[in-house]
This record gives sequence, structure tokens and C-alpha cells, in this order.
Amino acid sequence: MAGSKGREGEMLESIYSVLALVFILVACVELGDAATVVDVYRLIQYDLAGVPFGSRLASLNHHAGSLPFAPGADLSRTVVIIPFREVNITFLRDYIMQRQPLGGLLLLLPQNISSESREEAEEGDRNNGKELIRSELAELEKLLVHVNIPYPVYFAFEDDKITAVLADVKTNDATGQPATATTGGYKLVVSTPEPKKLASPTITNIQGWLPGLKADGDVNQLPTIAIVASYDTFGAAPALSVGSDSNGSGVVALLEIARLFSLLYSNPKTRGRYNLLFGLTSGGPYNYNGTFKWLQSFDQRLRESIDYAICLNSIGSWDDELWIHVSKPPENAYIKQVFEVAWEHEQFSKSRVTAVTLSELSVAPELLESTGGLSDSRHFVNGIAVSRSVKLVAESLARHIYGHQGKNIQIFADGSSLAVNPFYIQSWLDLMSQTPRVAPFLPKNDPFILALKKELADHTAEVNVQHEALDGIFTFYDLTKASLNIYQVASVTFDLLLLLVLGSYLIILFSFLVITTRGLDDLISLFRRPPSRKVKMA
Amino acid sequence: MTVFHFFNCAILTFGPHAVYYSATPLSEYDTFGTSVKAAIVYLGTALVKLVCLATFLKVPENDSFDPYQELLKALIGFIDVAGLYFALTQLTHRNISQNHKFQAVGLGWAFADSVLHRLAPLWVGARGLEFTWEYILQGLEANANLVLTVSLAALGSLMWLRKNKPRTLVPIIYACAGILATMPSITSYLRRGLGWHFPKVVGFELFASLAMAFISWQLFSACQKPSA
Repeated sequence: MAGSKGREGEMLESIYSVLALVFILVACVELGDAATVVDVYRLIQYDLAGVPFGSRLASLNHHAGSLPFAPGADLSRTVVIIPFREVNITFLRDYIMQRQPLGGLLLLLPQNISSESREEAEEGDRNNGKELIRSELAELEKLLVHVNIPYPVYFAFEDDKITAVLADVKTNDATGQPATATTGGYKLVVSTPEPKKLASPTITNIQGWLPGLKADGDVNQLPTIAIVASYDTFGAAPALSVGSDSNGSGVVALLEIARLFSLLYSNPKTRGRYNLLFGLTSGGPYNYNGTFKWLQSFDQRLRESIDYAICLNSIGSWDDELWIHVSKPPENAYIKQVFEVAWEHEQFSKSRVTAVTLSELSVAPELLESTGGLSDSRHFVNGIAVSRSVKLVAESLARHIYGHQGKNIQIFADGSSLAVNPFYIQSWLDLMSQTPRVAPFLPKNDPFILALKKELADHTAEVNVQHEALDGIFTFYDLTKASLNIYQVASVTFDLLLLLVLGSYLIILFSFLVITTRGLDDLISLFRRPPSRKVKMA
Repeated sequence: MTVFHFFNCAILTFGPHAVYYSATPLSEYDTFGTSVKAAIVYLGTALVKLVCLATFLKVPENDSFDPYQELLKALIGFIDVAGLYFALTQLTHRNISQNHKFQAVGLGWAFADSVLHRLAPLWVGARGLEFTWEYILQGLEANANLVLTVSLAALGSLMWLRKNKPRTLVPIIYACAGILATMPSITSYLRRGLGWHFPKVVGFELFASLAMAFISWQLFSACQKPSA
């Protein structure tokens, strides 16, 4: 008896524990059921010498709102969605500078600048419109990168879903009731962990060496010509900073020049008496930190053998003006430790190497400006300009190397076997325009870096890769890309109303059933205590 | 406030069953056991139906109305009727009157149907942040289903448990029972073949259930008269 009861008790206990487990599991069912999920890209977050910049928060869980702001409204729990064409820079600047509270900011970028869209750059009106967009984007980027914003800021591309949501939000706002927990509307949720500092970001320099022809019995080191381009970018949205022109065009030009000269140098009869050193440097936006470290790694003999260096920077969207920037080497290298380096060749000048920068920009860009951000997408660079730059540099180099100055010989003539290959340039420009290349977010063995290394190895005899740590004054934070869930939520009042309606429905149903099956008297008797009994007891 | 929404929809879906039980004399005569037995029979029927559907039906490529498949589904739906027959006639019930037996069986049957078909989607879906009308409509559908099932149980008890029925009414009884049994096929035809939206379909179900309930009530009381 006791034994069977004991067993029964055990069985019951195990059943209870199984039930409890089932309940717990069921309660943890993942609630991922948003109507709309959008890819969003976070504004960059960095510290420069300890001073914080960019957007300091990542996770988002607030109601959606839109412009124009209702006067006196409390926006600290609202995410404002602003399409790019409605952005008023002065208004935004004032709002941020005055440190007004805001739950979050979602900026919608036009679809045609995304790397997914495949529109070709056309002449005429289109170009003017695009130029306007480009300059406005640049201005917006400049504002956002140089301020400290204490709430999350995200970029997204406009598509049908999000446009519909925005239209809805605008009509709701127009009725004068901004969305809160009690009035329903849309809720924007980005669930990410807190952004963390990136520990020891690395910059990677890739160099290719094409040796020249040493005549027999010649003991002296051959002179070297260096061709350098920095390949990394910096922008307001690191996941979108593809830098097609700054400096994708420079990298592509360097690769094409390397290809052409590797063809020439493959045959000993056409090999020149100069070594060619190709350098793809990183750390460009940060005062050309990578170039500096690269030069430091040279040994004395190599550095002294460099006749001159040509740095390529933004040569992809010029029409008829291309600039060469030079600087005098400092008289005394110890006098002036230049903090800000505007052009790449100035790092060479610091090491007493003659260098120039070839660029379409006539004025040196400021720190963290023209570094290939939001406004620098595939549409704003064209392969023809790059081809022309390549031809210019290659012909000039060839004239110097082979001593053709003054003669009218075209080595890289169109239609010849050494012609500049437009398809090569197009395909590499396309690749550059789809790869965001902000240096702290490029790990040491990123496939893109390996691809550059492999390409350079195809064209040169010897390739070296140098990994360095990025300068200490810059600190970056992670989380550049996230998923935004847009939920359409009903207000609390709606739920309460529904409860009321259901309650009354059930009560009516109850009364109806009691009346029809038991009679009206029964219903009344439910609510009235029979008084006769009390009388009887008394 | 989404658990709130789940709570609301749960009340809408399962409340009427509880109200029906407590409001009518069913609670006085303690017919709870009958309802539980009917629910268990429903579970068994559902399993058998599942196996048959899996064996005989093809997975449809698109969401259109395929008459052959729907015919097959309707035939399999008659297993439901067989199940109800089993619950009404074969199970031993305590000594309760005809009147209450079919109500208890219908109630248990409809409650099991609601729990099996609607509880899981409700739990997973209604607790999310996103608001849709779907679960409220599902609750209304559960209500209509309750009425339909009780009507079907009434007609079933008329067909199988009552021996002396007026001759003229017999074909009507069988016809109404047939309509009730094929109600799922009718709604699926409306949704797929005619392309009606969910709210419209639910509205039709509610209206049809009330109409059929009225007709069954009339039939039942008409059959009661000779024995009274």
C-alpha cells in the first residue's frame, strides 16, 4: 500500500516538474514578429584625445515621431524620422548644439546613393541634382561627425515600407497627438548591447616591389620611384563609408599602373632602370598615420634611394582640372612636429623624401573631411576620369624612366597591348564601392585586405604586409550595423476599451443564457439574497 | 501592454464556454464529466483526421480553391461526425436528460476545438508588440464555432438518440446536419475560391451559426412535442 502510494507520489512529482518545465519553455518563446524589419547603420562613435564625438548610444525602444515638432512636446521618448530631403541643417545644428533631449534620430537616405542601386551617372539635369545631394550630404556628415550626440542616430535607405510608416506617422502627428504609450502608433526597436571600445585597432599597409634592371657590374642601388595611395575611409556611417572617390579611385589607379608596369617590366628588354615601389596605406583620415609608420619601417638605404613619390588622392571625378600639390621639405625636422597633415606627401617630406600628391581637390581637406563618407558613392566617380589619370601618371613615369622627355611617344596608347583597361578599372571601382573600409573595423585578415595583397602580388615581384596599431589619440566604438524592428502598437486605452466591451459581452451572454434556460426569476435570484430565510430564523 | 491583449483575446476565445457552462442548468446537474469525455473523444478524432489528411492530401502549391482536394477534406470532415456519434451514443453518461446531454457534449467538443486550434497561435502571437486584429477575429470565430457545434450536437442527438421523430422533419434534420458538418469546407471555399477577407468570413460564420442555431432549436422543440 505505502509502496504504491510512494510510487504514485513520485509520478505526480515528476509530472509536475515536467509541466513546470513546459511552462517555462513556452514562456520563453521568442517574440520576433515585427511587421517591418529594416537594416539600419549607426552613426560613428569615437573619442579624439578623450573628447567624445558621434552618437553615444545604440539601443532604441521608443515611439516614432516626425517633423515638424509640436511646440512644447516632450521628445525624450520619441524617435524622430527625417527623410534626407527634409533635413534643414541649421535647424538640426541648433537642436543638437542646444542639447535638446530626443529619444533618437533616424535619417532616411535616398535610395539612389545606396550601393545596391545600379544607376549609371548621366549627364545633364541628373548630374546637377546629384551634385546638390552630394554637397548636402557632405554638409550633414560634417555636422554629425564633429558633435557629441547623447542619443542613438541611425541611417536607413528609403524604401516602400518605411515610407508608408512615415506617412502614417505624419498623419497621426498632424492630428496633434504625438505617439505615446496611451495613444498607439509605431514603435521603433533596436535591441543591441551597449557599444564597447574597440581594443587596439590595427592599420595594415601593403607594399609591392617591382625591381628594375641592374646592369652587370653596377654595384650602386638603383633609384626607386614610389606610387602611394591610401585605401581606408572614414564617414558618418562606417558601414556605408565606401569612399568611391576618396580614395577608391586612387587605389584603382595604383593597381592599373602596377599592372601596366608589370607588363613592361616582365620583359628584360623593356625593364626600366628604376625600381618601382607601390604602397597601399591605411590610416589616411587620421593624419596619414599609416604612411608615417610605413616610412618609419624603411631601412636607411631604401629611403635614400627613393627619388620621389607620387601620392594619389581622389582622382575619380575631375573634368579638366587636376592638381599637383608639393611642399618644401622642412629645414629642420626637429623644429616642427606637424600635428595635422593635410596631404599624404607631407609625411614623405617629414622623412626628407621628395613627394607630390596628385588630386582633383584644389584645397587640402580638413581633418576627417573628404575621407570617403556618405556622399561618396559609386555615382560620383567615373571610370573615364580614372583612366585619364592613370594614363597621365603612367606616361609621365615612363618618360622619366625610359628617358623620353621631349619626344612625342605614347607608350600606353589606346588600342595597343599596353592600353589602359577600362573594364579592369570599372570592376575594381565597383568592388571598392561595395566595401566599407573604415580602418578600425577592418580586421587584420579581412578578405578585402587579402584581395588587395593578392592583386598586388599578381603585378609585382614581392609583396609585404605591415600591421600596425592605430595612433592612440583615436578611440573607436563598435556596433555599426543593426536591425530596426517597426511595430504597430495599439494604445492602452484601446486594450482597456476592449476589456470593457468583452466584459459586457460576457455578462450579456450570461444573462441571456440564464434567462432562456432557467428563466428570468433565476437571474434576479442570483443577485438578491432571499430575505424570507432571515425572517424565518428570527 | 501585450500580455493584456493576450488576456483579452483569451477571454474572448474561452470565456463563452465557461459562461455557457455556468449560466445554463449544466452546472446544476454537474455534467462536467460528460464535457471532459467529449473533449477526449475530440482529441482522438483530431488525431485520426490528421493521419488521414497527411496520407491522402497533397500539399497545395498556391492558395487557390482546388475542388478535388476540398471534396477530400469534406469527406475527412465526416470523421468529425463519426466522433460526435461516438461521444453521444457510445459513452456511458450519468443519468442526465437528452436536453443536457447534447449541450454538454457540444460544449466539451467546442472547448477542445478552441484549445487545440487557437491557444497556441494566441500564446505565440498575441503577446508580441505588433498589433493585429487577427486574434480578436479568431476569438469571434471560436464563438461561432461553439454555437455551430452545439447545434450539430443537438441535431445529432435528434438523429441517433430519439426514436420517434415526425416523418416530415427527418429530411430537414439530415440536411441541416449535413450543412453543419460541411461548414469548414464552405468557409474554406469562401476564403480561397471567392477570395473573401478574414473579417468577412468571420461575419458569415457568426451569421450562419446564429441561423443554424435557430433552425436547430425549432427542430428540437418540434420533435419534443410528441413526447411531451
